[in-house]
Amino acid sequence: MSEPVIQIEHVTKSYGTGGPVLRDVSLTVAGGEVVVVCGPSGSGKSTLIKCVNALEPIQGGRIVVGGQDLGDRRVDLPRLRARVGMVFQHFELFPHMRVLDNLCLAQTKVLGRPRAEAETRAMALLDRVGLHAFAEKHPGQLSGGQQQRVAIARALAMDPMVMLFDEATSALDPEMVSEVLDVMVELARSGMTMMVVTHEMGFARKVAHRVVFMDQGQIAEDAPTQAFFEAPRSERAQQFLSKILTY
Amino acid sequence: MSQFDFEIIHRSLSYLFFEGMRFTLTLTLLSALGGVILGTLLAMARMAGGPVLAACAAGYVNLVRPLPLVLVIFWFYFLVPYLGQWLTGASRPIHVGGFASALITFIVFEAAYFSEIMRAGIGSIPRGQAAAATALGLTYRQSMRYVILPQVFRIMLPVLLTQTIVLFQDTSLVYVLSITDFLGAASKIAQRDGRLVEMYSFAALVYFIMSFTASQGVRTLRARVAVPR
Ligand SMILES: Nc1ncnc2c1ncn2[C@@H]1O[C@H](COP(=O)(O)OP(=O)(O)O)[C@@H](O)[C@H]1O
Ligand SMILES: [Mg+2]
Repeated sequence: MSEPVIQIEHVTKSYGTGGPVLRDVSLTVAGGEVVVVCGPSGSGKSTLIKCVNALEPIQGGRIVVGGQDLGDRRVDLPRLRARVGMVFQHFELFPHMRVLDNLCLAQTKVLGRPRAEAETRAMALLDRVGLHAFAEKHPGQLSGGQQQRVAIARALAMDPMVMLFDEATSALDPEMVSEVLDVMVELARSGMTMMVVTHEMGFARKVAHRVVFMDQGQIAEDAPTQAFFEAPRSERAQQFLSKILTY
Repeated sequence: MSQFDFEIIHRSLSYLFFEGMRFTLTLTLLSALGGVILGTLLAMARMAGGPVLAACAAGYVNLVRPLPLVLVIFWFYFLVPYLGQWLTGASRPIHVGGFASALITFIVFEAAYFSEIMRAGIGSIPRGQAAAATALGLTYRQSMRYVILPQVFRIMLPVLLTQTIVLFQDTSLVYVLSITDFLGAASKIAQRDGRLVEMYSFAALVYFIMSFTASQGVRTLRARVAVPR
């Protein structure tokens, strides 16, 4: 595959004075690659994702995104973050703005796009996630699944070089999970570079190139999707898989 | 003294309202506006400024709040001319009118209270909102301006307005500077014509009706502005 979009090298991270939450984590995501990250709760998946967007500082190692070292003081972090799409567990749409304005805010304020151009882009993306008709609504008027699709569209409006997902479907009612996964699958197939924290193993099997298994702040396994499901090497990954797959 | 004289009230209405109440309302609104702006900055300094800035802001709030307002009003009135002299390097204490002095006092004083309201408001917005704004590339200022503060003002509007009603009542304390606010105007007529019972009763009634009506308005508003999530 092509150039790495995300390079995580020997990263160490702790919160405040607590113990390390990430310990010597290294991971590379190449352009066009879809990497699923899984692992037990508290293993550091969300933290890792946040570090990639420099939402959390790291104490050791380095992270390079799109060729730019996040630790380099000369890097314009807001500009870089604008090109890294992020989708949260709880959607985090801005409740006081219409759906359309949610999609246009950063386009106009960060990228400096003219309003008309931003709106055109926003409407095209709402169309892509099947929510063209909801542009004038407020997020509170939408179902969870619809809100998450809007959140994905909002991230895509920034023309990101990579999309990060942090358990994008785990706060949803079961009947809404598939409508969001459908959008994510379509996105993966379109060639988007993606780093996806999820326990939806069906999604992983369908579109992931690699699966990364995290445990206690470390990467316990990093394998091509098929190999991961057929013969996980680490015992922890085996246990984890048997737990979430057998039910 | 003779009977309750309604005539004196009737005759002084235009003076009471066009001089007195106009001053009171202007002072209230400008103080609230300035207090909210300064209070918001203080809240932001406390929550996101560096340790030094945060400590200064916290010190300010904790210094101002235990002081009796009337003392601050007096103190400022006599101090501001000298402060101005010192700041501008003038040879004599600068002249500061009663209105300007009162306005500065109320802004400075109320900011301490508004900052606590804003701090609670900012704290009530889920952390994910700021994270989402930052992840989209918005700077801290932009995220505050477009994402966080609009939500805070909406949630806190009833509390901010209630504080403004208290401020409206508190502005009557400027009478200590012999300023013609509403109470000052009533007081002047009361002294001049020896109609203390009439004028002070009427002043009380007006303050009561205006504050009560405004509070009822806030109550109605509270039910209506809840942000849908
Ligand atoms: N903001 C925070 N402050 C302190 N500790 C945190 C914070 N966020 C996460 N942690 C801790 O870091 C560890 C990893 O958390 P997290 O990255 O959320 O794991 P996961 O997403 O895999 O469930 C947990 O022990 C959690 O308690
Ligand atoms: Mg998590």
